[in-house]
Amino acid sequence: MSAPILEVRDVHKVYGGVRALNGLSLSVAAGEIHCVVGPNGAGKSTFFKTLIGVERPTTGQVFYKGQEVTKLPAFRRARLGLSVKFQNISAFGELTALQNLFVPLRRNHRKADIPARASAVLARVGLAGVEDTPVRQLSHGQQQWLSIGLSIAAEPDLLLLDEPAAGLSSEETARTAELIRELNRSGMTVVVIEHDMGFIRSLRARTSVLHYGRLFAQGGFDEIATNEDVRRIYLGAA
Amino acid sequence: MTGVTRSRIPALLAGLNGPQTLGNSRLFWVLWLAGVAAFALLPCVASRYQVLTASNFFISAILALSLCLIWGFAGILSLGQAAFFGVGGYAYGIVGINLIEATGESGAALVVGALAPALLAAAVGALMFYSRLKGVYVAILMLVVSLLLGLFMRQTADPAYAIGGAYLGGMNGLGPATASDPSIPNLTLGFGELVAEFDGRGRSFYWLALGALVAVYLGLRWLVNSSFGYLLVAVREDERRTETFGYDVRLIQLGAFCISAALAGLAGALYTAWGTYIHPDGFSVGPNILVVIWVAVGGRKDLTSVVVATLSLSWISIELATWGEISLLVLGVILVAAMLVAPEGVFATLGAWFGRLMVRSRRRPAPPPTAAAKLGAAR
Repeated sequence: MSAPILEVRDVHKVYGGVRALNGLSLSVAAGEIHCVVGPNGAGKSTFFKTLIGVERPTTGQVFYKGQEVTKLPAFRRARLGLSVKFQNISAFGELTALQNLFVPLRRNHRKADIPARASAVLARVGLAGVEDTPVRQLSHGQQQWLSIGLSIAAEPDLLLLDEPAAGLSSEETARTAELIRELNRSGMTVVVIEHDMGFIRSLRARTSVLHYGRLFAQGGFDEIATNEDVRRIYLGAA
Repeated sequence: MTGVTRSRIPALLAGLNGPQTLGNSRLFWVLWLAGVAAFALLPCVASRYQVLTASNFFISAILALSLCLIWGFAGILSLGQAAFFGVGGYAYGIVGINLIEATGESGAALVVGALAPALLAAAVGALMFYSRLKGVYVAILMLVVSLLLGLFMRQTADPAYAIGGAYLGGMNGLGPATASDPSIPNLTLGFGELVAEFDGRGRSFYWLALGALVAVYLGLRWLVNSSFGYLLVAVREDERRTETFGYDVRLIQLGAFCISAALAGLAGALYTAWGTYIHPDGFSVGPNILVVIWVAVGGRKDLTSVVVATLSLSWISIELATWGEISLLVLGVILVAAMLVAPEGVFATLGAWFGRLMVRSRRRPAPPPTAAAKLGAAR
């Protein structure tokens, strides 16, 4: 396995009296798709926030490409090539798809190059032709893909996706899984945080299971899916 | 019109037009020019009093635009915009009193009037944005800053509160420290022999204020449709998301805040030059809220709407003032009705409605310029 692109070491996060993360250690290898699952309240969202820099861990360390980033704010991590898509649709509704892409593209590209770049990004996420459509008029699935498009516009090395299949139809979910595999084939490491095991199944990737803020199990998807303990915590949570 | 100028006009307008402003059509600009021309000709027909009053309206509109930039575009509501107006006004007066006899002009005072509030905004803004203060807390903190400044200025009646030849004057407002010091000067611009004095009661000041308003309006149109404008809107729509694209949101907010303060300060300096008078009451709750009302009633996300609303509301309140006691009540009813009918702003709503009507009325509508073309042209 190649060197980890992302690593968290013994991370704790305490909100008031609640231990959202309780000694979590986990590493993601460069070039892989890595799924992080867990029942509600397992600490997935908190884990995600400490990775992107929106929250700082109470104790513990976060490393990205071998460099400690525990205290770096989100915008500095983004500049190191770490990109993120939040769970909710985070495109700017009043602007067109192209105008939305202007925001991430502007940082590294000249204004004149942006329309062509934006079209290329839209084609990549399967949205060719919607450049001038206001985001509000796009379907839910299209908005999710645009949101992924915004995240990959800066050509990150690591893409973190929080529940990319939330609210999608089964056909849209399949297309999203294919998009993630395609991005990964092009060299991007992708971390998918997901509640829905069905979607994880379609990715067939290395999977980490969180439970009570710790790493509960880790392995290939089949290994995880047949793990009795994992089934128990999922059923227990349901 | 020659072919050359004809082709240059769209290029000139391209930077001023874009998705962040209502009114990007040729018709809009024709009406806009007609409006500016009408205002420019007003002193030929209006009374001296009307010209004097309208000059002040233009200054108010610059102040309103300064709030529009941070509230409408960057999503930062400040209830203390009058603080920057007041600081700009005092700065103009203090520097003007001290320099007018030495240099014979007060242009430097005008520049300091814009810079001093920008520095204050940099200090207060850095504290607010770098401690991630948000929403209503920013609004209240800025109101407190304004009230504290007012409180301080009221207590400066002691003759010790003199800066050179300028005496802060407490409740009486800024004035000369001694009988031999000059009072607050008229705006006097120029170098050496070429000096023009703009008496606040005259036509020349009126045209100067109108020119300043037009310049600020056009400058802001360019700014909000530029790359920076896109970032402002991105921050307004989703601060956290913008940060994950690699932007330091705090710096963007601080930049907008300082530009806004400089514009408010410019308005304050012009106000002091207009009346050769500045007083601590400018820092109180009333003036602060009044700016918010102008911007809200017009439509905080559109510059044109804010200017139209400020000029209209200022004019209405002057007209109503002759009605006596009932005037405030009538004005209040107008404002409440406006907010209820058009929460996004009366003139912004009307503008958007008119825009849709124009599109529909064209039998064969020409395809609107694509956003790609706009982005390309807006370089």
